[in-house]
Amino acid sequence: MTEPEPETAARRIAGEARDRIRFEEDALQYADQVYRVARRLVPSREEAEDLVQDTYTRAFRSWRSFTQGTNMRAWLFRILTNLNIDRGRRNQRTPDLQPIEEGDYFLYNRLEETGGSEDEQVVEKLSQDGVVQALAAIPHDFRDVLVLVDIGEFSYRDAAQILDIPIGTVMSRLHRGRRILKHELAEQAVGQAS
Amino acid sequence: MEDCGDPCIKCEELLQPYVDRELTDEERIEAEAHLALCGYCARRYRFESTLRRYVRKCCEEQMPVELKEKLLALRTPLL
Repeated sequence: MTEPEPETAARRIAGEARDRIRFEEDALQYADQVYRVARRLVPSREEAEDLVQDTYTRAFRSWRSFTQGTNMRAWLFRILTNLNIDRGRRNQRTPDLQPIEEGDYFLYNRLEETGGSEDEQVVEKLSQDGVVQALAAIPHDFRDVLVLVDIGEFSYRDAAQILDIPIGTVMSRLHRGRRILKHELAEQAVGQAS
Repeated sequence: MEDCGDPCIKCEELLQPYVDRELTDEERIEAEAHLALCGYCARRYRFESTLRRYVRKCCEEQMPVELKEKLLALRTPLL
């Protein structure tokens, strides 16, 4: 085997540097979305900032493992969610389903009772802080899915791939997570009214 | 238009993937046919969609400038 010509080797190195720089620019285009999702996955702004930085540090370090032409956004979010789990996330007890069975209907009925002719007017009775707090109250496994689908706008298939769980589990956790969210919001609505 | 009861079983099966635009064409047609007939589910669908949009809006948050600068600094330096 012959040594590559110095000129060929130099061209290869330059080509790789170009690819790497392009990869980094492409990945940074998703930074706002990564931050928005990270903010809802961890309790504080500081932790979200650390998580985003760690995500990009790892992404840039392992850029060669990204296959060009595949879904970079999903690849980045997979790093984000894995890092979040690695950060010592504990297994939370699954909440008792019984008290939230009626959550789906209760929020709808409760807000409807309080008046407002359009759905927009009805939901806007919920405060932004209240929505953020209600999201934070959802146990992690359910919240991860809900945040990826509802805030990250990922498909069920992408969310399944990111979290390495079956699509059926995405659907059931999403349903459950939304029910818990609505239950929390309904409790706030009752609290405001009383 | 008739209501099919609270909770409506059909609604539970189809509403979530319909809101999320995850149904096949055939399932979507089935869901829309059901929504056209069931006032209860149609109201629920509108509410769920509106709530989802509102939750997303509540989570809009700009990344701090300092963090953006830190991320830019992680890039490979240009020689």
